[in-house]
Amino acid sequence: MKKLFLYLWIVGLLISCADEQDFDQFDDLSVEPTVASSVFYFEADEGTINFAGSGAFYQETFTFEAFNEAFISENILDGVITYQLENTTSKPLAVLVEFLDAGGNVLDSESFVIQPEPSPLLERQVAYGDGGRSLDILRNTTNIRVEGQNLGDATSQSSQSEPRIILRSSAAFRIRLR
Amino acid sequence: MRKTALVFWTTLFGVMGSYAQNKQLLYDFYEIPQALMLNPGMRTPYDKHFGIPLLSGFSLQAGTSGVTVNDLFANDGIDFTTKVRENVVNGLRRNDEFGGSGQIELFTMGFRSRNRPSDYFSFGMYGEGFIAQYWPRDLAILTFEGNANNLDRRFSLNHIATQGEAVNVFHFGINRELNRNWTVGARAKLYSSVFEFKSASNQGYFVTTMGEDNILRNTLVADVRLRTSGVQEIIDILEEDANTTQADLTRTLLSRSFLGGNLGVGFDIGFTHSFGRNSFITASLLDVGFIYHGNAIKNYTLRGAASNEGVEIILPEDLNDFNSEIWQELVNDIEAQVPFDTNEDAFVTLRPFKVNASFRYNFGAPRSRVQNCECGVNMTSRTDNLGYKSAVGGQFFMIHRARGPQVALTGFYQHRFGNILAVKTTYTVDKYTFSNIGLGINLQAGPVNFYVLADNLMGYTNIPDSNYASLQFGFNIISWNSN
Repeated sequence: MKKLFLYLWIVGLLISCADEQDFDQFDDLSVEPTVASSVFYFEADEGTINFAGSGAFYQETFTFEAFNEAFISENILDGVITYQLENTTSKPLAVLVEFLDAGGNVLDSESFVIQPEPSPLLERQVAYGDGGRSLDILRNTTNIRVEGQNLGDATSQSSQSEPRIILRSSAAFRIRLR
Repeated sequence: MRKTALVFWTTLFGVMGSYAQNKQLLYDFYEIPQALMLNPGMRTPYDKHFGIPLLSGFSLQAGTSGVTVNDLFANDGIDFTTKVRENVVNGLRRNDEFGGSGQIELFTMGFRSRNRPSDYFSFGMYGEGFIAQYWPRDLAILTFEGNANNLDRRFSLNHIATQGEAVNVFHFGINRELNRNWTVGARAKLYSSVFEFKSASNQGYFVTTMGEDNILRNTLVADVRLRTSGVQEIIDILEEDANTTQADLTRTLLSRSFLGGNLGVGFDIGFTHSFGRNSFITASLLDVGFIYHGNAIKNYTLRGAASNEGVEIILPEDLNDFNSEIWQELVNDIEAQVPFDTNEDAFVTLRPFKVNASFRYNFGAPRSRVQNCECGVNMTSRTDNLGYKSAVGGQFFMIHRARGPQVALTGFYQHRFGNILAVKTTYTVDKYTFSNIGLGINLQAGPVNFYVLADNLMGYTNIPDSNYASLQFGFNIISWNSN
């Protein structure tokens, strides 16, 4: 009898159970982190601006291939670029940021005008992707051109210590990993 | 997609680890010759034994801590990404792990010394492998959420810990019954490593903070190392564009298995001590040894520190010597500060040593046909050598792991049904489950011995919801010691 009981127990173990599983669910896995980094930082002191006189005091184009890196350009879903402009000089200033493709064509631009100090921090967010500007702008950007313009005089001096204009920028992109 | 899924699940569940090397059902189940591999100082009631080649000892074990297949793949209508986020990304801790191990005995033999019948020699060869992956919690969160909404959070690189190997082991052991109270044993081992990889004791972090100049500052401090031997050789064969892939792979695996790979040495020791006729304590220390990896090595390192606030243009400094390639310069600087390098430096790995111990009380012993005459270690019948009808006791197991020792405690009950059948049941508590009930059966039909041992039987009520499963079985030919 004991052996019979043991035998039945073993058989019972062998006929084990499993809840229904659906391994195709893996196809539905979505991994979409939002990655953030500073993009570029531009700073010019008031002495440099005065030295250049009125009008453009700086214009330069530099390569910037972070956006069109294959990993980003192929997987980006949407994103926001944040700009912060700070002016502690005594004159109104304008800054133009342009995104260029490999042929030098302007794909997108952002212009800022900021009043002399004391002026509040100017912050602007530009959305790309769903509801915003085309993601192709970012995908095709290989160069950035930055231009600074003095909209005031070339002699005045701010009473602030180390007067300057600062443009900060960062990007936060939602990337589809899966 | 299938390849991606395969990689994902291989990583998640295929790597189910060395904790599974606890063989509490087999330990001190001395009717089974393979128990000698867990304690070379076990009582040996055999005159000789011979394992059926490739079938004498086979074991597979797999487990997870913290999440089960059912948690993710149950057909419950819940969004899969939500289940992964809750159960895996946010649910698992850095000490949760996935792992598996397997062992197959290629051959084994044992015989009692004619000149000194208290000595029992055993030798053989087996292949084993394991893979263990600790959950890289911080990196998983970084991958799943990104850094944008995790300012000031340090994602630790210390969470990276993985280890795996395949090794062929040649062994020779001596078991000696010193007297009626003491049996001791030792086993020498020669390891032939097929492949091994290990990444542990990593340091560093990635953090995003408010920038000093710009809006954000990303900082990476890394001291990460992955050491491999034999792995790249296998990958190269798998990736070769030739019709000889299978033949090349077979040749390489065989060569590395039979002393053509990296070699090491080690030993096992153990004892059994009896108090009177019915109480026993046993202990063993297994796999104290090392492997020197000197060939087919490829190590990867990521070491250094870098912070990044994007491209910087500062006037007037950049007016006259402006470099329009400042983006590439920034990339180059970061790569120089935190270089990702490879090297072929030899290294030594210690074997993951294990400790077993037990207390056992036999009761209901079959009536001895030979009275205890204190007249010699070989003056007992086969029935006396098995020495029990029922037994209860407790066992202790510890394995040294990448993050320190892991232990398991087991209570067991063992019963013999005549000379044919013996059953052992265990209840084991470890970090993976508190409900691990195991059952082992040993059948002896004449000289033919067959055993099957299965763990965590409660899990069989719903296998996908089980954290742990193991199965061992084997066939032997045994000649009992009836002197």
